[in-house]
Amino acid sequence: MKKIVLTVLVSFLTLGIWAQNKNVTGQVTDETGAPLEGVSVSIKGNSKGTQTNKEGKFVISILANGSVVNFSYIGYKSVTKSVNSSDPIQVKLEKNNANLDEVVVIGYQSIKRKDLLASVASVNAKDLKDIPVNSAAEALNGRLAGVTATTAEGSPDAAIRIRVRGGMSITSDNSPLYIVDGVQVENGLSSIAPQDIQSIDVLKDAAATAIYGARGGNGVILITTKGGRKGKMQVSYNGFYGVKELSKRLDVLSPYDYVFYQSERSRGSSVDSLAFLKNFGSTWDTLGNYRNAVPTNWQNEVFGKSGVTRTQNLSLMGGTNKFTYNFGYTMNDDQAIVLNSKYKRNMFIAKTDYQATKKLKLGLSGRYSVQEVLGAGVSDDKGSSYNRLRNAVKYRPFLSASQDIEALDPLADPNVGNGLNLVNPIALANAEYRKKTTTNSNVTVYAAYQVAKNLTLKSTFGYDMYDYVDLKFNDSITPYSVLQGSRKPITGLDTSNRKTLTNSNVLTYSLKNFKDAHDFDFLIGEETYDLSTTNTFNLNKLLPSGSTPANSFTAVSPGVPFAGYPKRAETRYTSLSFFGRINYAYKDKYLFSANVRADGASKFAPGKQWGYFPAGSFAWRVKNEKFMESVNFISDLKLRFGYGEVGNNRINDYLYLSTFKNDGTYFYGINNQMVTGYSSAGLVNPNLQWESTQNKNIGIDISFAKRFDLSVDVYDNASKNLLLNVPIAPTFGYSSQLQNIGKTNNKGIELQLNAAIVKGKDFNWNANFNISHNVNKVVALGINQTSFYPSASWGVSGQPTDYIIKIGQPLGSMYGLVTDGFYKVSDFDYNPATSVYTLKAGVPTNVGIIGTVQPGSIKFKDLNGDGVVDLNNDRQIIGNANPTYTGGLNQQFSYKNWDFSVFVNFSYGNQVYNANKIEFTNGYTNNANLLSVMQNRWKVVSDLGMTTQWINSANQAVGMAPDVLAFINSNAKIWMPIKSSGAFYPHSWAIEDGSFVRINNVTIGHSIDSKKLARLKISKLRFYFTGNNLAIFTKYTGYDPEVSVAGSALTPGLDYSAYPKSRTFIFGVNATF
Amino acid sequence: MMNKLISKNVIYLVTVILLLTGCTKFLDQRPTTEVSTDLVFSDVPSVTKALASVYSRLVGDAGYGIRLSLYYPVDNDEMQGPTGAADNDRRDIARYSATSGNAQITNPFNQIFTGIEFANICIDNIPKMTMYTAGSDQEKKKLQRLYGEALTLRAQFYLEGIRNWGDLPAHFTSASNQAGANPFPAKTDRDSLYEKLLVDLKEASALVPWRNELTAIGDQQDERITKGTVKALRARIALYRAGYSLRKTGTMVQGSNAATYYQIAKDECNEIMNSGQHKLNPSFKALWKDQVCARTVADPDGELMFQASAIGRSGVADTKLGYYNGPTVNNLGNKSINVLPTYFYAFDSTDTRRDVTCAIYNVNADGVTKTGQTITAINDGKYRRDWITNPSILPTDAVQYLSLKWQIIRYSDVLLMFAEAENEISGPTAAAYNAINQVRRRGYGKSITTPDATVDLPAGLSKAAFFDAIVKERSLELGGEGIRKYDLIRWNLLASKLATTKTELLNMSNRVGNYANLPQSMYFKTPSTAEDVTLWSNSFYKAAPTATPTGTTKVVWISTAINSTALSRFATGFTTGKSELLPIPQPAIDANFNLKQNPGY
Repeated sequence: MKKIVLTVLVSFLTLGIWAQNKNVTGQVTDETGAPLEGVSVSIKGNSKGTQTNKEGKFVISILANGSVVNFSYIGYKSVTKSVNSSDPIQVKLEKNNANLDEVVVIGYQSIKRKDLLASVASVNAKDLKDIPVNSAAEALNGRLAGVTATTAEGSPDAAIRIRVRGGMSITSDNSPLYIVDGVQVENGLSSIAPQDIQSIDVLKDAAATAIYGARGGNGVILITTKGGRKGKMQVSYNGFYGVKELSKRLDVLSPYDYVFYQSERSRGSSVDSLAFLKNFGSTWDTLGNYRNAVPTNWQNEVFGKSGVTRTQNLSLMGGTNKFTYNFGYTMNDDQAIVLNSKYKRNMFIAKTDYQATKKLKLGLSGRYSVQEVLGAGVSDDKGSSYNRLRNAVKYRPFLSASQDIEALDPLADPNVGNGLNLVNPIALANAEYRKKTTTNSNVTVYAAYQVAKNLTLKSTFGYDMYDYVDLKFNDSITPYSVLQGSRKPITGLDTSNRKTLTNSNVLTYSLKNFKDAHDFDFLIGEETYDLSTTNTFNLNKLLPSGSTPANSFTAVSPGVPFAGYPKRAETRYTSLSFFGRINYAYKDKYLFSANVRADGASKFAPGKQWGYFPAGSFAWRVKNEKFMESVNFISDLKLRFGYGEVGNNRINDYLYLSTFKNDGTYFYGINNQMVTGYSSAGLVNPNLQWESTQNKNIGIDISFAKRFDLSVDVYDNASKNLLLNVPIAPTFGYSSQLQNIGKTNNKGIELQLNAAIVKGKDFNWNANFNISHNVNKVVALGINQTSFYPSASWGVSGQPTDYIIKIGQPLGSMYGLVTDGFYKVSDFDYNPATSVYTLKAGVPTNVGIIGTVQPGSIKFKDLNGDGVVDLNNDRQIIGNANPTYTGGLNQQFSYKNWDFSVFVNFSYGNQVYNANKIEFTNGYTNNANLLSVMQNRWKVVSDLGMTTQWINSANQAVGMAPDVLAFINSNAKIWMPIKSSGAFYPHSWAIEDGSFVRINNVTIGHSIDSKKLARLKISKLRFYFTGNNLAIFTKYTGYDPEVSVAGSALTPGLDYSAYPKSRTFIFGVNATF
Repeated sequence: MMNKLISKNVIYLVTVILLLTGCTKFLDQRPTTEVSTDLVFSDVPSVTKALASVYSRLVGDAGYGIRLSLYYPVDNDEMQGPTGAADNDRRDIARYSATSGNAQITNPFNQIFTGIEFANICIDNIPKMTMYTAGSDQEKKKLQRLYGEALTLRAQFYLEGIRNWGDLPAHFTSASNQAGANPFPAKTDRDSLYEKLLVDLKEASALVPWRNELTAIGDQQDERITKGTVKALRARIALYRAGYSLRKTGTMVQGSNAATYYQIAKDECNEIMNSGQHKLNPSFKALWKDQVCARTVADPDGELMFQASAIGRSGVADTKLGYYNGPTVNNLGNKSINVLPTYFYAFDSTDTRRDVTCAIYNVNADGVTKTGQTITAINDGKYRRDWITNPSILPTDAVQYLSLKWQIIRYSDVLLMFAEAENEISGPTAAAYNAINQVRRRGYGKSITTPDATVDLPAGLSKAAFFDAIVKERSLELGGEGIRKYDLIRWNLLASKLATTKTELLNMSNRVGNYANLPQSMYFKTPSTAEDVTLWSNSFYKAAPTATPTGTTKVVWISTAINSTALSRFATGFTTGKSELLPIPQPAIDANFNLKQNPGY
């Protein structure tokens, strides 16, 4: 270590000697007088400079006749001093909370925030430090105006849906473009540790994103990783250890209430009654015994254990004047709260820069990570039968006599309707094995050459490899095996390999302060992108019973492949682009920027491959006008106007080409043997194009009272040519064709306020607040098409759709029946002779939905007033997943060596479709438990066990006299559980207010006094405690209102079988040596 | 220095530009794992696989797997659909109450047109293949057969579409050639569609070999189409073309120039009969039990002329024959097709076809003993789970797809079509008599070729009486094979036959007229494994003993249940001028505003 320090010092000294004749020493401190290490000290007009050491001290050579020395440090205002004597100088740097000098990365170059002409939101390392999480995407949630990061569910590798200003596309991928250190990387946030990130800049409007052309339509996220910096090697260690617990449980019926309901459910059906007698006892009196049954809380058993999260991060950074480096290693180890669920990740990162000659700078950086996720998770997109949460909620809430907790239930009925049989959730968790391994490697090289004064050419090459292996094993008791594998194990082995090669060449010319008035920037560039993917899919059934995951994934599987397997798919996508940008500023008062990009993409037919994306913006720095000079209250005021066109080409490859499938979709029996057929893959559309958006943005940036920076942006994004699978005349032989025909609109306003509320010697209080409002609307669909329905993603066969995409309505509109309480006795005519209840004339009937209607049946509104409730005429939009407002408030306090931060995020006005609630309160499946809300249901059995009403064999409702039923149910608050398949139909009762305020993160930290540390050779040492997801204030009755399980972009806000979220308590250390 | 720098950079820039111009090909990416049209239509095995996809659209849930074969052809004067309340689903279709929103109409409509599109792709591409004109003799012949099969399958899909939905858009080339110019195709009159199909089939019959000529071109005898199939289908289409159908005006109108088409039907049938390639299986029961339900591939007589071949045990390309219909085994099965009591009594007591077509039992859990059923719960019997072998199905196996092949055309149909066409052209000639009598003799278990006065039609029938005999014989011979409803429509007899059946059912329920002396109870033997009349201890035609004979169990027979169970749901929504066609599915109209709804819907 000493050696390195010496070498570095010597090199500094020699450099100094080579340059000069007079040495000046000095010290740099912050406002409180504490020394600042690493402040860059440079001399104007000379590229040489130095940095302050641990004591804030420096030595620099100046010209004999004096020099202008500049002191700059990230997060502080720069100071310039004229030095002409060799007397030691003392410099105090003032903290810069206004962020205006912060450098912001925009496409292919970086500029100062104060010169921004576009809407850009940023998060930097300082903010990330307070959020000890394993995913940078998670850290973005609620921090940036106009950027939402929704975690689909609580699993450690859950997809995080990032949307910039709501997303424009209806059916295509709405993910933003990720650029890591200048190179496009698919889903860049998941392969980088938050600890390695220097800054994240999100480009929101077309004025900035149009430089990315056909890929910029969903916003661009630019990630800059930490690089080295001049100075001796700095070793940093960040580590944390945390404990996780389930943040909420759903209440279910007690054993006695459960058995009571099962008895009730069996009435009127000889089959069910027999099954009940067999399972639970013969007489009403014996049922009382279940009051003493020990309840088993399956939710606790399956995901109530405490989880553990561990992260260690080590980084080495430093460098000389010529060479800087940063190496990092991060290890994450998560034991999730769900049984058999684990997450492990190891990441390496390296970034080096080398000033080869005066004019040539080279850089090399690389990343490597391996991530392993164990556990089958909770949700499954194959359909309701395969989801697992239902077992933990609906499974019988006590153990059968002498039953082991992990044993299969001898009483369970495997032949229930729609394959919805319940399985012991512990046994199930042990019978399903899944391991997902992701390996990411990435290398980026650049060379920047200063061709002439102010003219630089930079070439960047990037290579990225993504390797994914997904092993699945379903033993014989799992629904998958039961329903599709003849109760023999099933194995799946999928692999995905993605290779990306990128190259960009950019020439920049910049001329500052020409004739004291003109600033001029010019950029021209070219870029190629080459993405190859290979996916393979293996799925085998009928493995020998007793197979294990360990002996099933051999090269030759002992099973039989499913029809159409194994499969292999290869694609290659190439694009070639040219782009340019001109920035011009007049006296720092009027700023203009214009850029254009031409994109050619292999995804489209020749002749349709090229697209052009122009954008322009203008800003007026009002503050620099004469009339504002005297307004001291306002330190900066800038108005921005931007307009541009961007595209989205995140669609599948080769869609314009006619191809044939041979994947087992179609086959025919010839000679009693299966012959698989070649079949047309679809009706191709040779005219396919990318989707495009016209974006208008007006913004204002204002700094006032020396403490506040406020940015407000108003935007209007009009998207067109959206790809839709439009229904076509089915007599062509296909149901739909992909066409560029949809239009949507996003309008919104967002506000970001950064405040340094208190700036003191000992106490500082900073706050960042943001709030956004976005209104989404579908403007056009296919010809003659006013709406379409995405297919239902859960439920039973014949499940009606639960979302609608309709012109004039937002995406994410939930669709269904309108709940209207339940039928009362007074809705029926009673025939005392036959005991038959018939609906009174004028009372609408539900018979088509739930079967025979009786007192206590759920009631839906007859919207068209025809007396019959049916799916065709009586459904409407019943919910909207889009929030009216989202935002967050982050507050950071520091007092002497203590720091404290609280981050709260919120969403207001969005609705969640609680599909769990529909399934968990219905009586469709035999022996299934119910949510405790059904305790107050309409009952059909008296307290003494008498059947008070039932459906007879002629499908009539029969029962005791109306006053008896009314008396027994005088306290009923909710309908009787539905037993028909209508029990799964979406209705407005399940649409809940998803507004929430979440105390997302609270951190308290203490830094040990640097003087005490000096002896330990430690320059910084901080301990902290953090609570993540500490509390949530919401009316939502499900696990968590921030949920969106389905893979489809068309059904946001669906809560069905989501992996429950956990609360985490973390202890961590940051140390720098 | 500066000059040097500039020249250096010029070189660099030029290099970059050169690289880029070399990159025009960079954007030309082609699929590597997906298969192009050129590759599929390059050799015989690939084309055979393309044709397998066309064939596959015959079967599956939306094809003859269940909907086209078992949902749509009922109710008729033979059989009716399932019990239960109106459901906006299969029951409503059977009862003629379907609306355009009935979900069971959409998928079959779409599947028929998928079949047509897949066939069109083959028809467009096979003749363009180099091998089609320049291949070896055998390759050319095989490709000609494949091309002819595609034409024949397209005709079959269109026929199924037209007889259910009437006029339809004309799609005689693949969608990629049509959809761009005319995305919203209007209907074409069925007469001209039929004419096109007849021309196609004439072409196909010249290309497809007879079943005994297959080995010569290196093909095996299997379920695929042969020349006999092509000709039989052409005869059938000619009869539909000559017959009545519900037109867009809402009236039943006969096709123009009927005589021309009767002649086509007669000629095609005549050629098949004279070819010696097809004949009747001597035993009606063996045909169904030992051939169809035994899933044999070999067909020594060639009676099974066109089959929809099922495989895969799933809704894609299998059938639910024997599960949705027919007797249940161990309570497994839907028993959703019931034989009408009047149809059961339409058979002569000595007709061997009665106990094949009607199964009055369900099989117990042991897989062999039977439980007799009441008269309103008689199952149709040609596709029976308990007859299935190769492999046989265990009584406990809950599988719903039993891989039985749906019979589209049998040789007996060809004989009856001949008799019908001959009668229309020349009256009841000896040739017409000979054809129908072959069918009758086999039905009564007699020698097919030996005249037999006890079963042959009486000589000297008038043209009209002979026609009536054909109407009846087709019902007895082809009952439950998805033919009756459409026969009645082309004869314009559906409304009157349904009305007569309703009257007769009521009479039977009230035990009046011919039905006064029929038994009110039937007693089946327990235990018994009998699958025909011998299951019963008393006669179907005489008054029953009042006391239950020992060793038997009683079921209610002629009773008011015929009214309350059978008649009460029989064709209740039938409206003439509307119900002869199904409604065009609403999604098809929504996607194509030029597709007009059928009359009355």
